[in-house]
Amino acid sequence: MLRPPGIVKSLVPQGFGEIKRSPGNTLRISGMPAALEFQKLTKEYRGFPGRKRLLALDQFSLQVEAGEIFGFLGPNGAGKSTAIHLAMGFMRPTSGRGQMLGAPFGHAATRRRVGFLAENVALYHRRAERLVRFYGALNGMGGSRLSARAREVLELVGLQDDAGRNVGRFSRGMLQRVGLAQALVSDPQLLILDEPTSALDPAARVTVRELLLQARNAGKTIFLSSHLLSEVELVCDRVAVLHRGRLVCLGRTSDLLHSAEETEILARGLSVNAIAGATARNGEIRFSVPAAGQKAAVERIWSLGGEIVSVNPVRRSLEEIFLQATSGSDDVPSGAAS
Amino acid sequence: MKPSLLIGVNFVREQRWPILVLLIWILLLAFLGLISNAPRGQEDLLFIFKQVALYIVVFSIFFGGSAIYNERKTRRILAVLSKAVGRQEYLSGLVLGVTMCCGIYCFSLGLTGSWTLGQAGFPASQVWFLMLCVIAACALAGTLALMFSTFLNPFFAAGATAGVLAIPALLSHLGLAAWADIMPVYTLTVTVMGASFQSPGIPVWSPILLAIAETIICWVLAARIFARVDIAVAVE
Repeated sequence: MLRPPGIVKSLVPQGFGEIKRSPGNTLRISGMPAALEFQKLTKEYRGFPGRKRLLALDQFSLQVEAGEIFGFLGPNGAGKSTAIHLAMGFMRPTSGRGQMLGAPFGHAATRRRVGFLAENVALYHRRAERLVRFYGALNGMGGSRLSARAREVLELVGLQDDAGRNVGRFSRGMLQRVGLAQALVSDPQLLILDEPTSALDPAARVTVRELLLQARNAGKTIFLSSHLLSEVELVCDRVAVLHRGRLVCLGRTSDLLHSAEETEILARGLSVNAIAGATARNGEIRFSVPAAGQKAAVERIWSLGGEIVSVNPVRRSLEEIFLQATSGSDDVPSGAAS
Repeated sequence: MKPSLLIGVNFVREQRWPILVLLIWILLLAFLGLISNAPRGQEDLLFIFKQVALYIVVFSIFFGGSAIYNERKTRRILAVLSKAVGRQEYLSGLVLGVTMCCGIYCFSLGLTGSWTLGQAGFPASQVWFLMLCVIAACALAGTLALMFSTFLNPFFAAGATAGVLAIPALLSHLGLAAWADIMPVYTLTVTVMGASFQSPGIPVWSPILLAIAETIICWVLAARIFARVDIAVAVE
């Protein structure tokens, strides 16, 4: 059984300097370089001569700060996995470069401080605990410390009762949890997760979400690629949307969700017919106006004898932002913060 | 060094079923050798032993040629290379794994061979020398196949390896015997096949040393090539 939400053990921060919380709820570690940085990265897949070339990434630049949870979004084929594979050193870029924890992409020793979970996780068929120990040992861990840590991370992902079972007999969701355990085993500073919750049930998703928040609070950086926009909306400090290999949207999640262009007004003491486009509920009316027309709308309510209940910027869903960003335009939406 | 060893042992573990089948085959032949009339069929027994010994050279090509391909196809390579494991270390692990698989086979064959052939009067020390020749040939053949497999699919890698290994045989056939030693798998094979009860042979170490040196060269070349290869393609 999975650990119930709320009692996930905290991850122990290691080797971090002074931790400050910025207004965007992102932990800033003084003197730390960006955890992950893509600098004008281009990746072109070349087939046999004469065949069409595929441009997976086009001059892609992005900076992920230390101590934040960064949501990396995009439709299928946008180039998300390619970007991740380039960062992990599985591929070489056609042009451009990047850095991970201060070292160039592909630097093997740096990967000791990185936890990676691939999409469609594939692992060797052996007992879960032994498997996690194997991956920990590849990172230079050993002895009783590794054994204890393997048991700890399996407990974190709710597999303590299945630690002695062969992963070949695991369901896809359980495999994903073992994959997460192997990513966490060496207590990494940077977690790169490609669709970590796609096969998980709702309870397990909540647990993983709490795990990510705990990791961030411990000063770790999380680079999260996901199609589950509601998950991203809940945990990510910043998000980027990739479309056709190009960055089309980047900003703080809170900034993107709150539109500066529209305001929602809630009022009472008025007939629903008094304001065009208003809806009535529980004796209150609700309507939206352009931000520039907010003052006039409020004055109109007062002049009609109504009472203002609330005036708020319209909150959009990440799904709306995603669909807008990937609807064909290659330009970064206006108002998106960097 | 530790990651290479772990990857090597893991490779052997992944190949446990083919190895087990080969070991059963060895035990079966040893059993048949023991229940047969050894003095009358001693040359037949030695011929079967030599033939079975050389099977593993062919298997080493398959082991080496398919190692990277299988790991990439199953995507298991991603979890391994996401750790602090360099491409060179990874390949070292595979070379070690292929050699260990062949070593297990040769050790079992050496044990049964020194027992069955020893009863027929063949010197046990020579049995172990022949096994050493086979292991050296396997290490080189497997590493050569591994090198080709860094940029070819397993089928073509096995073909290319077989082609390269056949060159010394061709040169020898054309009367250029001195050049035939350039790829010592052929020389080592001839050494094994040439052993007989009448002339068990004097251990010659130079082909074994040359095979070890060429294995290292192939491994370095494979690592250079593999470092420039994309090991993952986008899943989208």
